[in-house]
Amino acid sequence: MTKKLLIIDDDPDFVSGIKAILDKGGFEVDVAYNPKDGMTALQTKQYDLLLLDIMMGRGAEGIMIARKLRKDVKLRELPVLIMTGMREQIAFLFPGEPIHPRFVEVDELVEKPVEPKMLLEKVNGLIAAAEEKKAGRK
Amino acid sequence: METKPKILIIDDEEVVLDSCTQILKGSGYQLEIASDGLRGVELVQEYQPDLVFVDLKMPGISGFEVLEKVREIDSTIVTVVITGFATVSSAVDAMKKGAYDFLPKPFTPDEFRMIARRGIERRRLMLETIALRREKELLREQFASIVSHELKAPLGAVQQNLFALDFELEETLTDEQKAKMERIKIRVDELLKLINSWLRVISVDINKLKDGFTQVSITKPISNALESVASLAERKNIEIVSSISDELPPILGDVLSLSEVFVNIMGNSIKYSPDGTSVTLNAEVQGQNLVTTIQDGGIGINAEDLPHIFDGFFRGKSGQAMAGHGIGLAVAHQIVDAHHGSINVTSELGKGTTFMVSLPLFAKE
Repeated sequence: MTKKLLIIDDDPDFVSGIKAILDKGGFEVDVAYNPKDGMTALQTKQYDLLLLDIMMGRGAEGIMIARKLRKDVKLRELPVLIMTGMREQIAFLFPGEPIHPRFVEVDELVEKPVEPKMLLEKVNGLIAAAEEKKAGRK
Repeated sequence: METKPKILIIDDEEVVLDSCTQILKGSGYQLEIASDGLRGVELVQEYQPDLVFVDLKMPGISGFEVLEKVREIDSTIVTVVITGFATVSSAVDAMKKGAYDFLPKPFTPDEFRMIARRGIERRRLMLETIALRREKELLREQFASIVSHELKAPLGAVQQNLFALDFELEETLTDEQKAKMERIKIRVDELLKLINSWLRVISVDINKLKDGFTQVSITKPISNALESVASLAERKNIEIVSSISDELPPILGDVLSLSEVFVNIMGNSIKYSPDGTSVTLNAEVQGQNLVTTIQDGGIGINAEDLPHIFDGFFRGKSGQAMAGHGIGLAVAHQIVDAHHGSINVTSELGKGTTFMVSLPLFAKE
């Protein structure tokens, strides 16, 4: 079955570059260009993975979405690929912690821009990890 | 319009207050007077003067105490002491307490005017210095955010679309077209790296690293760095040979920034090495330090350039025309400094360069 992905990122040009790769990779991709539309999409449709930008709007609004996901019983298990242009700022927000932030149960962090091979690897890997986790719990 | 400079005179002698008021009349200053120290200190708070004249010898709280209080309220307020007995020693004492100048009694109107003018000038310069310093700090912060938003994000979007285009056209492009695509991607990648290293220098205070030091094994930052430079090494067909043992004792430091040190040094070694050569890593305990060596068979560094390679924004004259930004080694040096370690380098033209990073071993309490 085709996997459904959602991208939340406020830069349409960047999104077009990410989406094209995922389209060619055989995914069905929806896009939200702001956190609000993103949350609406997450609540109305079912996705296999979320690609989330951190720095949106006036600051780290992506982190707010990750926090909401963590509190949501249904969305808690959704795997998230965090995309950020600001590795050092992330390191600064969580000094001493690994760069990979563990916002939600299954997540990974990649730095923008993302090479096609790596993007597809991470997306497939996260979806597989989430499914494995789910199966293990049953 | 600029506000008139404010002067406060604290003196118990009415004749001094009166004459000062007379002298400064019409000279463009605002003037307040107080006939004792307590009232004077109150006025300093209410009136926020630029310049305060204080008589040293007054009933109630002394001139010295007033000086101290003024300093506590606002250390940028300029104080001048009026000494009745013109003794050098009391003036010196007052200057030690932070007074800017002294006015011996009796004084002529011209002397008073001149000292007032200098005091006001001094205050103006102090405020200006503070404002400039603050502005510089703000600029630094704003520059970091401008660089990341206005330069890095658009360039990232460009690169992402290049990646997509290349990926979509994988089967369509000729080898020559693919080579062009590759060149574009490499140049954009280099620009992004340059922006990142600027950001690193601007936005992170390396001295704050110390707060996050933990006991770490050198293998951790080394393996992080190896992972990070792998693609660059592959592109240049350079083999990285690491013979670093897991058994080495730990050091005290910050894994992320130490990883950066090794990324920068290895990146440098790879960049200046001819295709097909190798870079060798080694580590051993020497006294109270752990010394990691990174040895390349590259083009080497001129003896005259050698002392400057950690200066930042420096690229050797002898260096080949290669992408470089000279910040990496400077940042590495700063990080190692913050770890109380040292970096040394030896080099021979045409033979290669060896970097030695020495870091203090973790000491048990």
